[in-house]
Amino acid sequence: MATERAGTWLPEAGKLELGSCCGPRMLSPERLALTDYEYLAQRHVLTYMEDAVCQLLENKEDISQYGIARFFTEYFNSVCQGTHVLFREFSFIQATPHNRASFLRAFWRCFRTVGKNGDLLTMKEYHCLLQLLCPDFPLELTQKAARIVLMDDAMDCLMSFSDFLFAFQIQFYYSEFLESVAAIYQDLLSGRNPNTVIVPTSSSGQHRQRPALGEASMLEGVEASLFYQCLENLCDRHKYSCPPPALVKEVLSNVQRLTFYGFLVALSKHHGINQALGALPDKGDLMHDPAMDEELERLVVRSRLHRTSRQHRAQEPGTFGFHRRDKLEALERVPSASAPTPSPYRWEPRE
Amino acid sequence: MDWQVNCGLHLVIQTSSLPEKNKVEFKLHKETPSFPGRLLQHDLERNYSSRQGDHINLVSSSMPSFPILQRSSEEKILYSDRLTLERQKLTVCPIIDGEEHLRLLNFQHNFITRIQNISNLQRLIFLDLYDNQIEEISGLSTLRSLRVLLLGKNRIKKISNLENLKSLDVLDLHGNQISKIENVSHLCDLRVLNLARNLLSHVDNLNGLDSLTELNLRHNQITFVRDVDNLPCLQRLFLSFNNISTFESVCCLADSTSLSDITFDGNPIAQESWYKHTILQNMMQLRQLDMKRITEEERRMASVIAKKEEEKKRESQKQSLLKEKKRLTINNVARKWDLQQHRVTSIAANQDRKDSDSPSQDPGQVDGSTISAFPEETGSLDSALGNALQGLSVTDTHLVEVDGDTLSLYGSGALESLDRNWSVQTAGMVTTVSFTFIEFDEIVQVLPKLKIKFPNSLHLKFKETNLVMLQQFNALAQLRRIDQLTIDPQGNPVVSFTLWKYYVLFRLSHFSMQKINGTEVTQNDMIMAERLFGILAHVASSELPQYRLISILGDARKKQFRYLLETKGKKPGIVSEENNDSKRLVGENTNRATLNYTTRDFYNEKLEEIKEKKKFCKMYIEDLVKEATEINMKNEALQKLWPQMFIELVRDAVIEIRNKSSYMKLCLQQITDQK
Repeated sequence: MATERAGTWLPEAGKLELGSCCGPRMLSPERLALTDYEYLAQRHVLTYMEDAVCQLLENKEDISQYGIARFFTEYFNSVCQGTHVLFREFSFIQATPHNRASFLRAFWRCFRTVGKNGDLLTMKEYHCLLQLLCPDFPLELTQKAARIVLMDDAMDCLMSFSDFLFAFQIQFYYSEFLESVAAIYQDLLSGRNPNTVIVPTSSSGQHRQRPALGEASMLEGVEASLFYQCLENLCDRHKYSCPPPALVKEVLSNVQRLTFYGFLVALSKHHGINQALGALPDKGDLMHDPAMDEELERLVVRSRLHRTSRQHRAQEPGTFGFHRRDKLEALERVPSASAPTPSPYRWEPRE
Repeated sequence: MDWQVNCGLHLVIQTSSLPEKNKVEFKLHKETPSFPGRLLQHDLERNYSSRQGDHINLVSSSMPSFPILQRSSEEKILYSDRLTLERQKLTVCPIIDGEEHLRLLNFQHNFITRIQNISNLQRLIFLDLYDNQIEEISGLSTLRSLRVLLLGKNRIKKISNLENLKSLDVLDLHGNQISKIENVSHLCDLRVLNLARNLLSHVDNLNGLDSLTELNLRHNQITFVRDVDNLPCLQRLFLSFNNISTFESVCCLADSTSLSDITFDGNPIAQESWYKHTILQNMMQLRQLDMKRITEEERRMASVIAKKEEEKKRESQKQSLLKEKKRLTINNVARKWDLQQHRVTSIAANQDRKDSDSPSQDPGQVDGSTISAFPEETGSLDSALGNALQGLSVTDTHLVEVDGDTLSLYGSGALESLDRNWSVQTAGMVTTVSFTFIEFDEIVQVLPKLKIKFPNSLHLKFKETNLVMLQQFNALAQLRRIDQLTIDPQGNPVVSFTLWKYYVLFRLSHFSMQKINGTEVTQNDMIMAERLFGILAHVASSELPQYRLISILGDARKKQFRYLLETKGKKPGIVSEENNDSKRLVGENTNRATLNYTTRDFYNEKLEEIKEKKKFCKMYIEDLVKEATEINMKNEALQKLWPQMFIELVRDAVIEIRNKSSYMKLCLQQITDQK
């Protein structure tokens, strides 16, 4: 049942190199350039292996009861489905791009209803929602995401769910990239040639930069084309995930000059980047999740029954069995509820 | 006490003015229906005709016309010293001539508005003007021997012009409009003073009345009495039907040594439960109270009750002490809390100001409540309270209070009280538990204890507890039952969230809560909560891989075990019971049991643990993978070499057997060698 659902979201997930340590070898040129170990590390296979063993250690007794093989199957299945990040510690959630995308998707799925209800929330409240899924989620990240939405407004302003979610996606998924971008931006702004960037036509670049400097101090932000040059370079070298350079170019080609936050806002609103990232649906479909809605209706009806039944049998000890049955029913229903969902979103490993 | 003197005089009145004038006046009187009685008129006329000549001298004065009185000589002889002009419808005092020896004069029940024409009666001892219309005391300055002055039922507003009446023995001013006691301090021989039915609002200015034995003050509006202790001879004091409501407003009575008879009936004070015994206890010299003799039995009862009251008072003193101590402690805890929270100093200053404000109010209150019953003790109580307060250690960092059904805990130290052996009754009675100035994370750690020690707690209150996250509410799910939850916005930022109530309802839905922050929970609220967070629960329960489910629920169980190991030691019975409990908890809300809360400390501890494990796993996997890749490499190398090796081996074998006969020989040789 689980794989079926995974298929709806991550059709490519099977290629997550799970079998690469013992199964068929992938003889791509890239693969040959690295040693086996480096390759596995780069593909985060080691991360998941380590984590799997870690989880095994965590619950040795319980897991040994139902089988080590079963555990590994379940573990890697859950990795494929993206359910492995639920309620995990932040260090794990941010460890791989797949984990980040999984977390973004989990957040969207769990709290889509909040957005649907139309509630506008503060940064702090969104942070609380994040913490429901990841207890040690750092406030700093949420603050940065809120800064993208609110720009110069006070941090306690209210935000819509979709605004926050898309800004958060960019900030969370590309957080290392954005940090480098911020440094480059600062360098450009202060007129320095970003020392981290080796521009091939450095002389012409600097030459071009000089006259622009006077304007730059008057105008807001930096010149878009120069900024792009630096970013392209960064994307080439960057070992963390970056947005596809073509899309970055698209974002930057529309304007003459832009500020750092302007850039982030543009990134967050760019639906191509959202699609490339693949964790969330398009903005228009953000509130759309018929399978979950169906499930929710069922839950609401049941909670109503549950409440009335509880009032009748408030002191009865038999509640245990009653709930177990519920749980089983829920499990049985899962495939039928989720199978028909078509998935326009694809997740492509991009390293 | 109305003084009536009936002397049975027979009187004859003669008009003193000219006939014409008199006629006019009489006519005038005739027209006013109230005045001219037939008898009087007849008498006047008769007297006028018979004795006209005697009084012409007087009439010649410039005064308006007065009736002139003369008695027959027989009467004069018979009642030489008294004259009664009762009910004669007199509007003025008649001129009384030739009666200088009079000692008793009675004008009761007339219409006299002014005291006149009696200044010549210097031997007068008794003057009765009861029931007239006199508005001012006057015309008495020459009557130095006057001993009884009866002015009851008149219209007098002020006590005055009594300066020369030094021998006055009885002064009756009842039924007037006097609002103040004054100008009487020289009446050192006065024995009886009647001021009943006047407009007195209080009693004072009684100095100098050294002989006063009876003071009647009934039917006034008196609220307090002073100076009575300066009346050395006072025996009877009538205060019935006034407005006295507290004992301290008449407390000077207790200091009077002579007082033996007192009335308070018709006052608010007489309605009080403590009235009788308080009076008896404080006025040992009394013989009669409200016209009833005080028996020994009553006195004994009073002293018993007084002792009880004393105890009660001590108790209330203790109470107020405790109250004050509580206030100080709470302030102290609050200050500590503020420091701990790194609050800005302005708030601290504010707090200080509050501190300095309140003592000026609170002790006042304390005094007020104690004074009401026992004024004479106030001073000592006050100082006792002050001393005790100084003795209070302001270093107390926590406070535990059980008030009826409410257990209040202030400061984190108060949580230790849950380890105490609470009596079954107390613990059973407590339905409300309130936490103030305690970190929520610390509260979470004692929730299992709370569940065991106070099984009936249905209402939890949190104030200044640093509730900042929705997930913190998860911790409350482990309790047995909650009907009401009150989260004070003060010091609990979570309350400012839009969704917090719904999250509480969602997460604690198995409690079927009645009220949150005093607001009734409706069915719609429940549905809304489910709509908002139902998916979260669904995802958390149905999509969580089994191994995570075990891990998360295991943590919850482990936490409880840990607590049990820490507190209970090894009592297997309880452990197993608790174990069942936690199982039931898991069952009770399967699809949200995974939404639990780990306190920050515990969580950090766990993270550390994970870090350690990760380190190990990393090394382990690294070794494993390296080994695997090495084997793989060797394997690959072997695979590469193998075809060539195989060919070489075959070739060697073929070469060896090419010469059949020599090979056979060699083989045979080998066999024989073996033998």
